[in-house]
Amino acid sequence: MEYVRTAIKSGLDVDAFAGRLSFFFGIGMNFYLEVAKLRAARLLWWRIMKQFDAKNPKSLMLRTHCQTSGWSLTEQDPYNNVVRTTIEAMAAVFGGTQSLHTNAFDEAIALPTEFSARIARNTQILIQEETHICNVIDPWAGSYMMETLTQDMADAAWATIQEVEKMGGMTHAVDTGWAKLQIEKCAAEKQARIDSNQDVIVGVNKYKLKQQAHVDILEVDNHAVRDSQIARLQKIRGSRDKAKVDAALAALTDAAKAGTGNMLDLAIKAMRLRATVGEISDALEAVYGRHRASHQTVSGVYRGAFGEGENMKSLLEQVETFMAHEGRRPRIMVAKLGQDGHDRGAKVVATAFADLGFDVDVGPLFQTPEEAARQAIENDVHAIGISTLAAGHKTLVPQLIAALKAQGANDIVVFVGGVVPAQDYEFLEKAGVAGIFGPGTPIPEAAHKVLRAISARHAPPSA
Amino acid sequence: MTDFGLSADDRELADGVRAGTRRALAKAITLIESVKPEHQTRAEALLDHLLPDTGKAFRVGITGVPGVGKSTFIEALGMQLIEQGHRVAVLAIDPSSSISGGSILGDKTRMEQLSQRDEAFIRPSPSSGSLGGVAEKTREAMLVCEAAGFDVIIVETVGVGQSETAVAGMTDCFVLLQLPNAGDDLQAIKKGVVELADIVVFNKADIDSVAAERAAAQMRAALTMLRPASTRWQPPVLTVSAARRIAMTDFWSAALRHRQIMSESGEFAEKRRHQAQAWMWQLLDSALRHRFRQHPAVAAALPELTRAVEAGTTTPAAAARKLLTMPAHDYDNLKFD
Repeated sequence: MEYVRTAIKSGLDVDAFAGRLSFFFGIGMNFYLEVAKLRAARLLWWRIMKQFDAKNPKSLMLRTHCQTSGWSLTEQDPYNNVVRTTIEAMAAVFGGTQSLHTNAFDEAIALPTEFSARIARNTQILIQEETHICNVIDPWAGSYMMETLTQDMADAAWATIQEVEKMGGMTHAVDTGWAKLQIEKCAAEKQARIDSNQDVIVGVNKYKLKQQAHVDILEVDNHAVRDSQIARLQKIRGSRDKAKVDAALAALTDAAKAGTGNMLDLAIKAMRLRATVGEISDALEAVYGRHRASHQTVSGVYRGAFGEGENMKSLLEQVETFMAHEGRRPRIMVAKLGQDGHDRGAKVVATAFADLGFDVDVGPLFQTPEEAARQAIENDVHAIGISTLAAGHKTLVPQLIAALKAQGANDIVVFVGGVVPAQDYEFLEKAGVAGIFGPGTPIPEAAHKVLRAISARHAPPSA
Repeated sequence: MTDFGLSADDRELADGVRAGTRRALAKAITLIESVKPEHQTRAEALLDHLLPDTGKAFRVGITGVPGVGKSTFIEALGMQLIEQGHRVAVLAIDPSSSISGGSILGDKTRMEQLSQRDEAFIRPSPSSGSLGGVAEKTREAMLVCEAAGFDVIIVETVGVGQSETAVAGMTDCFVLLQLPNAGDDLQAIKKGVVELADIVVFNKADIDSVAAERAAAQMRAALTMLRPASTRWQPPVLTVSAARRIAMTDFWSAALRHRQIMSESGEFAEKRRHQAQAWMWQLLDSALRHRFRQHPAVAAALPELTRAVEAGTTTPAAAARKLLTMPAHDYDNLKFD
């Protein structure tokens, strides 16, 4: 709605652009709900575009791209992910998506291999060419259950849209951190339901394998990738006309300063002269500054959804025991290192640990290992948990440990969580990592382990 | 010079603090914040030892409702001060959950530039976990930062709890940050906090400068109704944009003017003397209360008497008298460690 309003305000006719807008949905495992979600979205888009007085039927049509949920993939028993992706893909198709992205089954472990990518692609082709599923438009229409669910979804979503409108629009909602907070609240609740076995994830909290099957994964050499990227960049910088690039970037900065002119056009011109994306955003940053996500974290949600079981009680008692020894609560820092913007998982861990009685420092996104070490030392934390989802751990984690040692902070225990292939465990443990928590580790279990490790290092159990 | 009962390790810690070592400073603050009696004894000795090197910094307290832009404000101010050659320590008090006792401390995330500077030290602390509230601990942490050579100490607190009165009571200049759309926010901030402010700042004035000026005018009018703490200082009301670094130098000029006027009149030193005394009494109060509750006879009788008062079967006055007479015979044996 904000996009539409902005475009209309700049003088465009609604029908001139509305047909080009498209939406990106993630599709999870709640099958009926996902089908209803897309159907409800279509209904609401029509309603919203009517309000903007769109006349062209194309403007009223919802265009969607769907991606099967990466979150629902599990590291444990990963071949199950082929089935999960298939079910999610079918929900997207039943919901009437225009285009679809299916995840590879090994994406909870590493970047996909050629084999896993082929299976993912074939999942789509099977649905499209073998099953006749695509021959029917909106096959669920008329089902009492589906129509009711669609209506309920539409009503609930409409209420949320109204809430955002009252707040002053989506830009404002994102800016104040409201949107992110809603997502984190949901994520923390879901995690608590999984950790307490209220929600079933096959192979993770039910029907677990005694021994994990070996899966071949793609190994990426970080150093080689970095070196080749730097070489490419140097080649581009060496072969372009520097004066022209500088002039194009200056024009962009000037336009941003003046608030007039077609920025997109200027950006494309700069790119044609081989300016990099980094340089173009730097040119704009000089005027606009850098966006900083509002940094709020929910509290109490995880514990509320988890309930007060024996497990929780024993953990809280251990925290109390630790406090008696140490004179303060266990304090951990949750860090995100390098070019890895996936912080939902880190936020869930942070809020859950705080609910379990820890003091939790949250590091900013894109921190360097040295910055993280400094924050950990300044705040004098007992442990650092590094959340890694972009395969940078083999480079960044040893750097962090070296930075800690360089400042004499050997007492800070380092943990790693996130997507880490099994074959990297040994490497990380040798580098000095005290524990690795793959996807699906119940958070109370991780908390137990962290507490044990830092107790061992700080307050000997005999004391 | 006496050794204040410092162990070799703590002496090394003290030397590290004096040398401005980041890790030593961090460890010293941890020691101070510890609730373990043994740590507290060590912390006291450490503080006594460092005391000659304290007191030289300008202590600035900053409060405001969540979302007012405290971190952005401190980042802008801190960077500006570092450019002028200052060394800046930021002590932030983050509220702890009353249920789990744990807390989320995310302040540094919002001070990205400042947290990377060698001339800065930022330490967020949870508000729970210390006996007399975090305030006393923050005051002591402030002293350690001074000993480590930081000449501007900024204490940040969320202006919705109990801590802001305490922070006003430990700083030389107490600043209240406000948002231009004051109508709603004035109610979120406790009225008493406005009375504590030496400077009131409307942040985010770049978004709607007209609204910011109007809000500032309203605040100026409101402030004239209040009796200022000093006859020589009427708290100024400023409009700034910390994010865009607008009018931040005006703010610092006002803070320096406040310090100059207060110093010339002798009120600066007087305020610190008064703060130190109030602090001692506060420590005494909390220690006495704690000791009293721990007295075996009191601890045994307290639950039942509390119930009796709740049920109305005894009066609060009678219950209090009964409890107070209990430890009377062995006040001599009460240990204050």
